[in-house]
Amino acid sequence: MKKHFILGKVFTLIFMLIILLSVAGCGTKQEAAGNGKEPTKIVFWYAVGGKVGEATKTLVDQFNSTHPDIKVEAVFQGDYDSAINKLKQAIPSKSTPNVMQVYDIGTRFMIDSKAVVPVQKWIDKENFDMSSYEKNILAYYTVDNQLYSMPFNTSTPILYYNKTMFKEAGLDPENPPKTFEEVAADAQKLTEKDASGKVTRPGMALAIYGWFFEQFLAEQNSLYADNGNGRDAMATSAAFNSPEGKRVLDWWSGMVKDGSAVNMGRKTADTMKAFVSGQTAMTIDSTGVLGDIMDGVNGKFEVGTGFMPHPAGASNGGVIIGGASLWMMAGHSDAEEKATWEFIKYMTAAKQQAFWHIKTGYFPVTTAAYDDEDLKKYEAQYPQFKIAIDQLHNTPVNRSTQGGLLGVFTQARQEIESAIEHVLDGQASSEDALQKASDTVNEAISRYNASVK
Amino acid sequence: MKKYLHYLLLIVLAVIILAPFLYALVVSFESAEETLAFPPVLLPAHLATDSYSKALATAPLLSFIVNSFVVSLLVTAGQIITCSLAAYAFAFLKFPCKKILFILFLSTMMIPAESIIIPNYFTVRSLDWLNSYQGLSIPFMASAFGTFLLRQYFQTLPKEIYEAARMDGCGRLRFFLTMVLPLSKPALATLAVYAFLTTYNQYMWPLLITSSDNMRTVQIGLAMLQWDQGISWNTTMAGIVIVSLPTILLLILGQKQLVKGLTAGSTKG
Amino acid sequence: MIAQTKNAFGDSKQALLFLLPSLLLFAVFTFYPLFASIKLSLYNTDLMGQASTFAGFQHYVDMFSSPQFFQSLLVTLLFTLYTVIPGILLALFLACTVNRQLKGIAIFRTIFAFPLSIAVAGASMIFMMMFNPSSGICNYFLQLFHLQAVFWLSDPKWALISIAIINIWRSVGFNTIVLLSGLQTIPEQIYESARIDGAVSWRQFIDITLPLLSPTLFFVFIVSVINSLQTFGEINILTQGGPVDATNVIVYSIYREAFFNTNFSYASAESIILFFMILLLTLLEFRFLEKRVFYK
Repeated sequence: MKKHFILGKVFTLIFMLIILLSVAGCGTKQEAAGNGKEPTKIVFWYAVGGKVGEATKTLVDQFNSTHPDIKVEAVFQGDYDSAINKLKQAIPSKSTPNVMQVYDIGTRFMIDSKAVVPVQKWIDKENFDMSSYEKNILAYYTVDNQLYSMPFNTSTPILYYNKTMFKEAGLDPENPPKTFEEVAADAQKLTEKDASGKVTRPGMALAIYGWFFEQFLAEQNSLYADNGNGRDAMATSAAFNSPEGKRVLDWWSGMVKDGSAVNMGRKTADTMKAFVSGQTAMTIDSTGVLGDIMDGVNGKFEVGTGFMPHPAGASNGGVIIGGASLWMMAGHSDAEEKATWEFIKYMTAAKQQAFWHIKTGYFPVTTAAYDDEDLKKYEAQYPQFKIAIDQLHNTPVNRSTQGGLLGVFTQARQEIESAIEHVLDGQASSEDALQKASDTVNEAISRYNASVK
Repeated sequence: MKKYLHYLLLIVLAVIILAPFLYALVVSFESAEETLAFPPVLLPAHLATDSYSKALATAPLLSFIVNSFVVSLLVTAGQIITCSLAAYAFAFLKFPCKKILFILFLSTMMIPAESIIIPNYFTVRSLDWLNSYQGLSIPFMASAFGTFLLRQYFQTLPKEIYEAARMDGCGRLRFFLTMVLPLSKPALATLAVYAFLTTYNQYMWPLLITSSDNMRTVQIGLAMLQWDQGISWNTTMAGIVIVSLPTILLLILGQKQLVKGLTAGSTKG
Repeated sequence: MIAQTKNAFGDSKQALLFLLPSLLLFAVFTFYPLFASIKLSLYNTDLMGQASTFAGFQHYVDMFSSPQFFQSLLVTLLFTLYTVIPGILLALFLACTVNRQLKGIAIFRTIFAFPLSIAVAGASMIFMMMFNPSSGICNYFLQLFHLQAVFWLSDPKWALISIAIINIWRSVGFNTIVLLSGLQTIPEQIYESARIDGAVSWRQFIDITLPLLSPTLFFVFIVSVINSLQTFGEINILTQGGPVDATNVIVYSIYREAFFNTNFSYASAESIILFFMILLLTLLEFRFLEKRVFYK
């Protein structure tokens, strides 16, 4: 009898624990009863951390304090990939947020999820004036003549170079290389070797980042996927296995092979660190890290910036914008949708975008932000940023610079990075590597297209 | 002499084991410029603590730590109960299909967590446990690892005590509670420390099932800092130090308990 | 004979009660999802990862005809090789050095267990900083000794080894505690009688310590193999399976397929195969190793 008693006690304990927890859980879920004057609550999922996340939170707080009738709850959802994965669970269980920050290459998936409201709906409804928004940026998120999502944080890559090293190598510090050929030639001049011929300082450090490859294609006005980069119709196959694609890999691997460029892997943080600590003369990185580079260098040498290079003779190309945009999710009441629209407008308005630009280094998505006094001061402090703006404005809007739309873009990017690794490591030729990547991506595209229907 | 040599060996080993964390600690006190310098700065010019305030401003780490503590304590308590019960059955009781059941238990360790996380999300959702402590803790309250650990330990206990207990007519449960558990303190302490720390270190599951800051756990806070990795190592490292402090403290306290239990066990053995 | 049979079943009711809490939790949170995964592996999925059309064994056929899968398999086994034996030897060595009654030994025990208290994410970020190719502290020390800089994480020849180093560091703390608690159960008298017999210390170690420690060693071995086969965090944060697939272990590939490539069914098929692989391996370990384990 006795042993049963003790055993029973143990189970009662477990049972009580569970009950206790359930009760505790219920408490947190209870919502305050509305008294009719409650602000409209909307949920905003964001996917940026660090100082960018902090700036996001600041903007949300400012919105909440200036809009007493709306209450935005901002929730961090991990990085962009985790956020999308969480959304995939939220859609079938009908618990999507009102508005969500999604990275550029998630655009096709968001449209295909059929769980979004194009912001065009509200632009049309209110006849909202979009003329001050950057047209190169809008072009990326415009599909079938509709602006699906509102651009929010936008960046492009630029060339960073060490002017002091340029001078030492007898190069013109005010004239950065513009073509693949010039980059290769300058990199060689900037490379230092010891007596035994071992490279002690490579001329360039270039991270294996699929985004850069996409840019180099666009610089040549070449497509990433068929059907007009997936913008005239759903893409059915990859198009990067082209002479242009091969040219990029040949140029890149050529520099790595002769030691004038170093392969430090996939992390731009590593190449940036090499540049800042004076262990290489050139690198390519996002405009978003300009402020960090300047802080890190702290006057030890002069930093120059230049356009993304392109092969000699390439024309009508340019950069593709990267970053993320704000998506309005479907399935919420009209009042919430309206509140969401107010929030989206606020986040991308001139004053907020000027603050955003200064805090994070992302482009202002609206040109109206350039009239802001603080921003003008910032521009004076970092004249290097002007190059990025010029580069953006010099880019013609066409199918290749609008960027590819692919439901499987994350996978495609990973395949390209793997292909570049194989080529740089001498394990495959540019042709074979691109062929293999494009085969894998094509298979993924057809599986994706079948699952969308 | 031999004793001093042994101390020397211990100190060298200790430095090697601690080196990564000590280095992180140093970097957390450096200025942003120093973290990017080459050769690496091993002694910052002056203790810069703004990386700590920056880390705390970027993520509500302190309230996340509290949440993680609650969840980890619940899981630890749960595992101690379920694992010691099950391990007792496997170590001392005779029943059919014992081997198969044990393998079945062990097999739960072999299922990649990444592949069961989605079905579990839907289970927890249908139980209405999203955003709650029970959703964060109950799925982890059983552990094959813990059962295995305790079973191995129980089997090293002298068989005579079991025989003696049987002779006394001592019931199974009383034997379990009054003999086995007290003798197994070191193993229970090991399990407790392990269960606590693994739960404290969870990331994917809490991220998936919580969606408000007041239920979020600490590794999510670390992910918020990770964004700037490479750009400002000092903030990231400060975050790691803050997040690790409670577990380090726990380890020091737990280890004391552990050593006490260990010496008790060995003198009796 | 009859009495014996009766005895064999005599405990079953109680055993069931003792096992029930664990079994219930496992049923809901492990086996049910496992069956869900098996089902998913036989279907195609829609965009959100829900089962749509029946696919039969197509995903398994795809998997076994993919060279990538076998590459992952190879990497996974290599990784296990790199981590398990060196990790256990290191932990055993550490445990032996602190298995003495010396003043202040508790401090060293705590220090040797220390890595346990650092999360995967934290450890990975610390090592990422140390492994930085241009200005990391590891390459700085190599340079001090006039050695060639190593691209720890971006050189295909080194990446898996670097991940293994991090993994060993992370697991050595726990393994040391467990082995130490095993060592402590060995009564001092046994050594004393051996000493009287004139046994030298390494013979003592082989003849007394190892056999008596075998249950603990066996446990550490099994758990290390399983953990190593499931290593994910370091790879996700540091190498994402690269460079040139050098660190693309199966668990990472499962994660990649399920969460990035919207290929849930294929990922499920991979996890089922991984599950059975580990199960088979563990059964073999039990069959061939547990016999040698010496239980008192």
